[in-house]
Amino acid sequence: MNFFQKIADEFHLNFIAEDRWKYIVDGLGTTMLVTILALTLGLVLGVVTAIVRSTHDKVCTEKGGHFFLRFGNVICKIYLTIIRGTPTMVQLLIIYFVIFGSVAINKTLCAVLAFGINSGAYIAEIIRSGIMSIDNGQFEAGRSLGLNFRRTMIYIIMPQALKNVLPALGNEFITLLKETSISGYIALQDLTRAGDLIRGQTYSPFMPLIAVALIYLVIVMGLSKLITLLERRLARNDKR
Amino acid sequence: MINVEHLYKSFGDLEVLKDVSEHIEKGEKVVVIGPSGSGKSTFLRCLNLLETPTDGIITFEGVDITHCKGKDLDKLRQKMGMVFQHFNLFPHLSIRRNITLAPVKLKLMSQEEADKQAEILLRRVGLLDKADAYPNQLSGGQKQRIAIARALAMNPEVMLFDEPTSALDPEMVGEVLEIMKQLAEDGMTMVVVTHEMGFAREVASRVLFMADGQILEQNPPKEFFNNPQNPRLKEFLSKVI
Repeated sequence: MNFFQKIADEFHLNFIAEDRWKYIVDGLGTTMLVTILALTLGLVLGVVTAIVRSTHDKVCTEKGGHFFLRFGNVICKIYLTIIRGTPTMVQLLIIYFVIFGSVAINKTLCAVLAFGINSGAYIAEIIRSGIMSIDNGQFEAGRSLGLNFRRTMIYIIMPQALKNVLPALGNEFITLLKETSISGYIALQDLTRAGDLIRGQTYSPFMPLIAVALIYLVIVMGLSKLITLLERRLARNDKR
Repeated sequence: MINVEHLYKSFGDLEVLKDVSEHIEKGEKVVVIGPSGSGKSTFLRCLNLLETPTDGIITFEGVDITHCKGKDLDKLRQKMGMVFQHFNLFPHLSIRRNITLAPVKLKLMSQEEADKQAEILLRRVGLLDKADAYPNQLSGGQKQRIAIARALAMNPEVMLFDEPTSALDPEMVGEVLEIMKQLAEDGMTMVVVTHEMGFAREVASRVLFMADGQILEQNPPKEFFNNPQNPRLKEFLSKVI
C-alpha cells in the first residue's frame, strides 16, 4: 500500500465512515455560536465596566463624587479582580457545577456566560485604556456644545477610543475563540471536543486533531484579515 | 447678561481665583489679558461651568447658574459657544459633521437644515471647500476657524474664546483674528482671553487685566493701554508691547 493510499484510508476512516465529519461540522457550529454570543456579552460588559471605571477616575476627586458612581466603581473593581485573577477553566467549571449545579441548564448557554463574563473583564481594561487615551479637550468640546455626558461618550469619545484599541480588541477576540476549546470540560461538543471524539472512536489521532487545528487557524486568519480591513477603513480620517 | 459675584476657585490648595466680580453686558466685547497662571482661563471656564466654582455666584440672563446641573446645564452651554486654544475638533468626523453633530444630535435641526447652515458658516469663515475634509488635513488657522464655525452652529448668545491664537503659527494668527473681528462687528457678545494686544486695542469695548487670581484693572482700551494705573499692569504692558 503506498503513501497516498494510506492517507486516503485514514481520511475515509476519520471523516467519511459513519458520517464522522458531522461531529466536526456540529462542533464548529457550537464553537462559533459560543464565541459570537460570548463576544457580544463580553463587549457589553466590557464597555459598561470601562465607562464606569473611567468616568469615576475622571469625575470623582478624593472627597467628592456621586454615591452610585463610587459604588459602581467598587463593583467593577471586584469583578475585574476576581475574573482576571482566576483561570478561565476554573470559572467555567464553577459556573456549570456550582452556580447552575442543581438546575438543568443548557451547556451552550453556560459556556456563553462563562466566556462572556471572562472576556468582558479583559475587554473592559482594553476599552478603558482607549477612553483614557482621548484628550480631555475632546470631552470638554462636546460638553461645551451642550451635548450631555452620554451623547459625548457615544458620538465623540467612544468612536475614537475604539479605533485606538482595535488591534488589542482583535487580539482579545482571537484569544476568546481559542479559549472556547476548553468547553469540552463541561461536556459541550465544541470543535475541539469533536476532534477528540473522532480520535476516541478511530484510535487514529493525526487526522482529526490536525483538521481541528487547521480549522481554528483558518478562522483566526480570517478574523485577523477582517480586523485589518476595519482598521484601514477607520484610518481614512488620518490621511493628511 | 453675565454677572459674576465674589467668584472663588481653588484646585486643591492652589487658589486660582480670589474674589472676582464682573458684569458683562449684552453686545460687549470683553478682552481679558494678564500673565500666565493669573487665572484668566479658569475665569473663562467658570462662565460655562467647565470648572465648578468653589464659591461665589454666576448669573446668566438673570438666572443663577452656579449650581446648574444635568439638562439645565446642557441647555445653558448651548447658549455659550466656546473656542479652545487647542481647537478640539473631532478628528474622526468630517468638517461638515463636526459642525452639524451637536445641532442634529440635540434635535434642534434636521441633518439637511444643519448641512445648509454649515454651508453658510463655512462660507463665512472662508472654508467652504473643506466641508468634506478631516481636521488632520487642515492647518492650525483653518482648524480654529472651523472651531469658531462649530460653536456658531449652536446660535449662541455669547462666545467665549480661550486663547484662540496661542497655539498657532504667527502667520496664521491674522486669519483667525479677522473672523473674530467680523463676529464682533455683527454684534456678538464676546469674552476673549488672549495675548493679542492689537486685537484688544482694536476690538474690545473693555479690557480686563488679571493677575494672581484677581482683576486688578479694567478700562476701555484707549484708557487701558495709554494710561495704566496699576503697577503690575504697567510692568506687564512694558514687557509685552
